[in-house]
Order: sequence, then structure tokens, then C-alpha cells
Amino acid sequence: MPKNTLAASRTRRLVLQENVAAYLFLLPFLIFFVGFVLYPMFMCLYTSFFDATMGRKDIFVGFANYRELTADPVFWVALKNTMVIVIVSVPITCAFSLWVATIISRMPVAATSAFRCIFYLPVVTGSVAVTMVWKWMFNNYYGIFNYLGKSTGLIEKSINWLGDPKYALGCIILILLTTSVGQPIVLYVSALDNVDKTLVEAAEVDGATPFQAFWRVKWQQMMPTTLYILVITTINSFQCFALIQLLTSGGPKNSTMTIMYYIYYNAFKLYRYGYGNAMGVILAIIIAILSAIQFRLGQEK
Amino acid sequence: MKKLLALMLALIMVFALVGPTAFADDNVTISLWTYPIGKWTDEATVKGFIDAFNEVHPEITVKVEYLDYTNGDDKINTAIEGGQAPDIVMEGPERLIANWGAKGLMLDLADLVPAGTYEGVAGSCTSADGKVYELPVCMTAHCMAINKDVFEEADALQYIDLENHTWTTENFFKAVQAVYDAGYEYVGTVFCGGQGGDQGTRALVTNLCGGTYANPEHTEYTYASEENAKALSLLCAQDGISFDPAIVASDEIQNFVNGTFQMAFCWNATQEVNNADALGFDVFPMAFPAPEGVPSLQGGIWGFGVFDNKDEARANAAKEFIKFLTEDDGIYAQVVEATNFQPVRDVAGVYEGNELMAEYALMNPMMGDYYQITKGWTTARTEWWNMLQRVGESDGTAETILAELTQAQDAANAAAAAE
Repeated sequence: MPKNTLAASRTRRLVLQENVAAYLFLLPFLIFFVGFVLYPMFMCLYTSFFDATMGRKDIFVGFANYRELTADPVFWVALKNTMVIVIVSVPITCAFSLWVATIISRMPVAATSAFRCIFYLPVVTGSVAVTMVWKWMFNNYYGIFNYLGKSTGLIEKSINWLGDPKYALGCIILILLTTSVGQPIVLYVSALDNVDKTLVEAAEVDGATPFQAFWRVKWQQMMPTTLYILVITTINSFQCFALIQLLTSGGPKNSTMTIMYYIYYNAFKLYRYGYGNAMGVILAIIIAILSAIQFRLGQEK
Repeated sequence: MKKLLALMLALIMVFALVGPTAFADDNVTISLWTYPIGKWTDEATVKGFIDAFNEVHPEITVKVEYLDYTNGDDKINTAIEGGQAPDIVMEGPERLIANWGAKGLMLDLADLVPAGTYEGVAGSCTSADGKVYELPVCMTAHCMAINKDVFEEADALQYIDLENHTWTTENFFKAVQAVYDAGYEYVGTVFCGGQGGDQGTRALVTNLCGGTYANPEHTEYTYASEENAKALSLLCAQDGISFDPAIVASDEIQNFVNGTFQMAFCWNATQEVNNADALGFDVFPMAFPAPEGVPSLQGGIWGFGVFDNKDEARANAAKEFIKFLTEDDGIYAQVVEATNFQPVRDVAGVYEGNELMAEYALMNPMMGDYYQITKGWTTARTEWWNMLQRVGESDGTAETILAELTQAQDAANAAAAAE
């Protein structure tokens, strides 16, 4: 066999070996990705075309579940509530996180770390524990908010914060904010640390005000972080579930019903798996469209 | 050497994988999942029964999982869908018969029921087609309770038949008014934050003006009646009674125990036993108010059901375990005492000399129809507490309330018809 053919053959074998090794390293993740992401996604879409429930064979119904969704008033209420949560909580979370990060990043290292820990605590604390504390604070009969409100004369009599449709969704958004700002603050502090100091100094030498230096230099360099925070916060807001389940079960009068809770309610309380999956598909499409828009806007910037 | 080592490792892995089945013997492992029924949440109590069982049947291992009413249903439903349903579940007919039994997931336990043994409750533990999906163990008549000290202070005990623990609808409202006038803002609360403990609100509303919840044949729901609309309207108008969509029964009980509420609509003997250390006042169990003072109380019947896991050995082992716990009078008496409820068959020595249980046993003759086995039960329950939320926010007129009741009932009956 000619020498160069032998060398080419050995090279191909080495490349093949490397490829096989690479795929073997990827295999464990691939198994999880297929098993816990792709397969459930496919099953969700597939089941949405069936009247599926416990204890009997699924019945193919085509788009009937989707047609039913359009006529279901609770679904529209849930969609509206979910959109309100997203529209209110996402900008506030981003703006508040940026503001806090800007302040604490100027502090000494120890203070910055301390504040990072404080703001991150609700994220690492179990959501059930956090929610129970909030439930106690909102309690109609002996909650601290009513106690303080009445003591200071702000309110005349107790407000049933979680039991009154006027306040319940606002309370949910407030709790969601406290559990959502931790990660963005940590990310923004890191992003601010990574801003190229020479560019900021050059801008300041050229006469830029602190606001201009922030807006024209720092903000531009933090765009990828902002984009990530926007996408993650939007998805988290859309998937608001634990708070609802633990505090209001979607009530009072569906005023805190969200798409995620309504999916759970239909699938696990009423055993309407097909209908629940149809809602899941719609929710996934909405999140995908919004995320795509956010990415597009971020790239244009 | 390396090849030999690799071969040995491979053999170990293969034996580890196939070992349990390849070398199977007569040992069987079964699972028991139990809802919080008295001390059946207490590991030591349940272990005591299992240890006693293992002395007779060492070949059967029983693994226990303790559920709660918040997410117990979700756990079991997820297990069913994943093909991992427990072998035995301890709960009541609304789940064992109306839910999983109706879906064909349970085994018929007729062979465990000696003729005439459970006559009082047998009908409630049997499906429409005659299958026994629950072997009953204990029962109770759910009641309500008042803070006797506060009622005495407010001179409201005059409205109560203290001997029989009953009161008329008229006297109930007079008593509530008296307690409210004595300075107690939160006398009672119609909790409607979820379905937990809704037997209390159902019994309150249906008894107040002589309404019903379902028909006697258990084929459809009947709660959209003028009687129930009037009852809800009276509750809406009463000082000291509020509708609270932010709490469920467990919150109500906590608020009663800590003295915030002066009465609890979700109560039974277990609540008094479990909260004995925290109670700082004299609890007086009461039947729900009715026009003539003769209510139809909501019953609770708990027992064992066996899931059909298509495994004869496990099914037989599960039945052996149930037989062990229920056939021998001595063991059965202990099993019942661990529930803090009343036995469902004649047995000597249960709660002997226990005054508290004797007091609660007064409620048993007032137990009414066990309508929880009506089809569409899951939907009926969720519609009920959602309806109460809407009623609490309404103008409180009987017409508006009847419309809300009708909306809820129609949804429940539609679900019943679809099953």
C-alpha cells in the first residue's frame, strides 16, 4: 500500500475515533435531552389532539381541544392574568435589578458580596417556605400588613389581600418580584464588573456625563446580559405556578388564574390530559414568539 | 489480567441487573400509601402493625408512603399514569369508588367481606355495578364545633340543645349574632380557597334550609335549589359570618384553635385529639343547624382499596395484609383506635372509657346520605368552592345565588354525564 494512502487511512481512523469519543461524551446529556425535553414536547403536541383521560384509551379529536380553548372563558381570563404578570413583572424586575446592581457594584467588595447574598437568598430558599411566610404576612386576621396598616391609620379595617379579587393578583406579582430579582442582580453586577473600564474612562475624558457614560458605553456592553435576563424573566413569569397553587388556587373568582395553573387544574384535577396539553402547546408558542422577538430586538441593538 | 477484571465487572453488573428476578423466591414486596387518617400518619404506629403482620407473614414486605390531602391525589395519579400505582391505598369511597374504581383501576374486594359484616356502610363502599372497591375500616359523622367558653360569655348557649349537641337554623343565627354582639368580629367563616374540607361548607349550606346536594340514586347533583340559595343568602347577610376565598379548611381549623374564629365548620374527633395541646378553651362539637334541629350529617368512611397492578402475587399479598388488619377483633380494634374514628362493625373494647369519643359518637345516628360516590364528583367539588367564592362577592340576593348554584350544578352534572 502506498505510504500516503496509509497515512490518509490512519488520519481518517483518528478523526473517526475522536468523533466517536465526542459523541460518547455527549451521549448522557443527549439521553436526558431526548427523554426529558424532546420526547415530552412531542407527547404534549401529540396528546393535544386526543381526548385523553385516566383509565381508558385516548380518542382522537383533531383540533377539538384547540377549538374548545377559544370558547373557554377561564382560559382567556388565565391568559389575560398571565400577560398582566409578564407585562408588569418583567420590566420592573429588569429595571430594579439594574438599579440595585449599579448601586452595589460601586460599593466595597465585601459590601457588594453581602448585598448579592441578601438579594439572592429568596432564590435559594425553598419556594414553599418563602410563600408560606408571605401567606402569613398577607393573612386577613393577624397578618403583619393589616396590623401595620391599621396601626398607622393607612387602612380602617383589615383587607383580605389574597381573598379579594382587587388585590390578589397584585400580591402575587409582588411576591414574584421578590423571588425574581436575585439572579438578575447577580448577573448585572458581574456584567458591570466586566465592562471595559478604558472605554468608560475615554468617554469621561471626552466629556461624557455619568448618565451618558452609562447609557452609551456600559449599557451597550451589557446588552447580552440584559437580553438573557429578559428572556429568562419572561419565561419564569409565564410559568408562574407554585405561588398560585400554594396561595390562591387561581381564586378568588379566577382573578389569579394563570395558564400554568389552569393546565395543572385540567390535567391533574379534572384528568383532561388532552385539553391541558393543548393549552401547553399554546403557551409554548406564545413564549417562543416572545423570546424570538426579544432576541431579534437584542440583535438589532 | 485487564480482560479478566473487565469480565468480572461486567458479570457483576449483569447479576446486579437480573439478579432480583433471576433468583426470585416467594418474597413479595407491596406498597401501602395512606392519607392522613388519625395516627396513620405516624410512622411508629404504622410500623407496629407491619411488624405484627410480618410475624405471621415474614415473606411479605410492606413499604409505606404517607400522603397529605394537598398533593396526595397528584402523587397517586402520577403513579398510576407511570404504571407505578401503589398496591394498597387507605382512603374513602369518593376516591376509591367514585374516582379510581369508576375508572376500572381497582380490584373487587368482595371476597374479603363476610356476609352481613359491614351492613351499615357496605352500600357506600360498593360501586353501581356491585364491586366492593373499599374494605371499610372506620367512619365518622363530620360535624362543626364551637368555642364553648366564648358562647357562654356571650350568653349564646341558650340557643343550643346541649344534651344532643344540636340547634335549629333560627337559633344558630341568634347564637352567631349574640357572639358577634359580644365583640367577636369573626364568629364563623365559610372557607372557599379550595376543596380541602369542603364537607363542612356542603353540610352547612344543605342543612340550613333543608336542601340537598345530590339525588338519592347518586346519578345527578341537586344543589341548585331555592333552599340552598336561601341558606347562602342568610349566611351572606349574617353579622360575624364571612366568605373567605383565601383560606381552606386547615386554615379555618388553625384559626379556630388559636381563638380567632369562634366556630369551625370542618371538625371531627381527630381534630380535637390532634389539637389537644394547642386548644386553650373548651371545644363543644355541634351538629350542623337544620330547620327542626335534625340535620343530615356528612359521613366519612375510610378503608383499604387495592389497585389492580396485574400482579397476582402482589394482589394476594395486599389482601392478606388487609385481612390481617381487619379480621381479628383485637387487631381491628387497634387499627380503628389509630384512626381516631368509629368502627364500622361491631367490635368490643374500642375507646373503652374514652369520654371524648363517646361525645363524638353522638353524631353517628345523624349521618346522612353518602353522596360522594356520585359520578362527576371531582368536578362537583371544584365547582362548589368556586361557586362559594362568587357568592361571597355577590350582592347576596337569593336570585343571584341561585344563578351561581345553577351554573355550578350544570357543570357538575355535565361531568357526571360524561363519565
